[in-house]
Amino acid sequence: MIGWLGTFLIAASALAGLPLFIVILAAAMFGFFLADVPLTVIAIELYRLIDTPMLLALPLFTFSGYVLAESGLSLRLVRFTSRVMGWMPAGLAVVSFFVCAFFTAFTGASGVTIVAVGALLFPALLAGGYNERYSLGLVTTSGSLGLLLAPSLPLILYGVIAQQMDLPVPFSLRDLFLAGAIPALLMILSLSVYSVWVTKDLSLVREQFDGEEVLIQFQELKWDMPLPFIVLGGIYSGFFAVSEAAAVTSAYVVLVYVFVKKEVNLSSVPRIVKESMMMVGGILLILGVSLAFTNYLIDAEVPQALFSWINEFVKSKVAFLLLLNGVFLLLGAILDIFSALVIMVPLILPLAISYGVDPVHLGIIFLANMQIGYFTPPIGMNLFIASYRFKKPISEIYLATLPFMGVLLIVLALITYLPEISLFFLDR
Amino acid sequence: MVNKTLVFIEKMEDFSLVFSLLVVVSLALLQIFLRNVFGFGFMWAESVLKILVLWIALLGAMVATRENQHIKIDLLERFLPPLALLLCRKMTSIFSAIICGLAAYWSADLVYYEFLDSTVAFGAVPVWLCQMIMPIAFCVMGLRFLSHGWNT
Repeated sequence: MIGWLGTFLIAASALAGLPLFIVILAAAMFGFFLADVPLTVIAIELYRLIDTPMLLALPLFTFSGYVLAESGLSLRLVRFTSRVMGWMPAGLAVVSFFVCAFFTAFTGASGVTIVAVGALLFPALLAGGYNERYSLGLVTTSGSLGLLLAPSLPLILYGVIAQQMDLPVPFSLRDLFLAGAIPALLMILSLSVYSVWVTKDLSLVREQFDGEEVLIQFQELKWDMPLPFIVLGGIYSGFFAVSEAAAVTSAYVVLVYVFVKKEVNLSSVPRIVKESMMMVGGILLILGVSLAFTNYLIDAEVPQALFSWINEFVKSKVAFLLLLNGVFLLLGAILDIFSALVIMVPLILPLAISYGVDPVHLGIIFLANMQIGYFTPPIGMNLFIASYRFKKPISEIYLATLPFMGVLLIVLALITYLPEISLFFLDR
Repeated sequence: MVNKTLVFIEKMEDFSLVFSLLVVVSLALLQIFLRNVFGFGFMWAESVLKILVLWIALLGAMVATRENQHIKIDLLERFLPPLALLLCRKMTSIFSAIICGLAAYWSADLVYYEFLDSTVAFGAVPVWLCQMIMPIAFCVMGLRFLSHGWNT
């Protein structure tokens, strides 16, 4: 009874606009108070943040992403890829998917992609002969497309949360990065195929393939090119640890975009630090207080209760996965991705393992759902950002994104029910 | 006078944030360099890095409170009439201030115990000093929530 009342109060206060960390902190305090545990435990749990492995990667990759978002990288990427792929049917659309995915992987799906890249692509798509509804849908959907690609922040955060949980089935961040690659490419491929099919009757502007022009645009990218190699090469080859790759990346972006290419003013670096660290601080504080809250839940044996409750209705792994998809899609539309990760993963991961779901696979399912949640009507975040950025009524954005959502839901089903897609590169 | 102090505190926060991030990047780079060229690293560097991430997180959270940038769901806010919205904002701010106050008190309690214990975090730096940021951060955030509640 108290449990239900408490849950109701928590939900109501969260909906009323209380900062999420306050909601969780208050819940943890109340729980420990009822259990007669001195509240010092909250501070002890928060301080445990420092023992969380790989946490360092989070502020550093976030900072790099914020610098990249202010550089001219988005423009150069669009120019180069449209020279390379522009001759294909629906070439510009395919370009858009690739550029958005790459950009989101580096900046995190915080709406930056729609604002920085989408704003470039939308007029280009219209000029290229694509109709408005299709173009709107494309830029809105692509705002969260690279979420499964390394080094996206949600992917790292999932690894960080899972690693401090003492799982019976351990995995490394490298496993997670490898696992995200095929599902992400599958999404891009499916969206591309859909785009070719849906635009087959339009008279699109096709670029001529011009080797010389490609070379020129490629040279424009010479300072940006090392980035994926530092991050991916460094991590996959084992030369850097993830947090070290993050440190090298942030030093490199400052060196290149502030000092060499001078696209970002030195005087605006403190502002970028401030803005990016506000986001990191917000996320890590929620993570810290959730460590305390999760600990309370475990003391109160909530995960076991949850398990036996769900076990009554859900007997098979497939049914469990179906339930997950439903819950996650709803969650992704209501909560922002970081809070959803921090709150739900500690509860759901043990449950998933007991149903025989691989923790790496669960991470991919979770994030794929969240990715779609970003533009699930009526309140997915990308819908509002796109409506605001492109000055279109939100109902128009809903209609525009629905077909793309359909395509991605099919891919989601494949990813969820065929674990091999995610675990292909892993020895599991 | 009060305004000057506030501006000074805000400047200090921003500066500490930038400085901590700079130290983190430099220290991490130094460690990579030392390990790959000379095959060793400083033992204390790992601890410093970990603690600095906590400091960055809490400083960032302090600034986020200042700029009203904390993650929240605020679904109801979209549907409330203006007066109810005002009341709702005042209540959430004051409740947040109370919770931060409690958190400040109990983390100060932890700092006090660690002070009596005098455990060492790294080098000659005691653990309680590293934990100081927690009561400070919650105190500052609590006061800011209070002023948000007052000013809305």
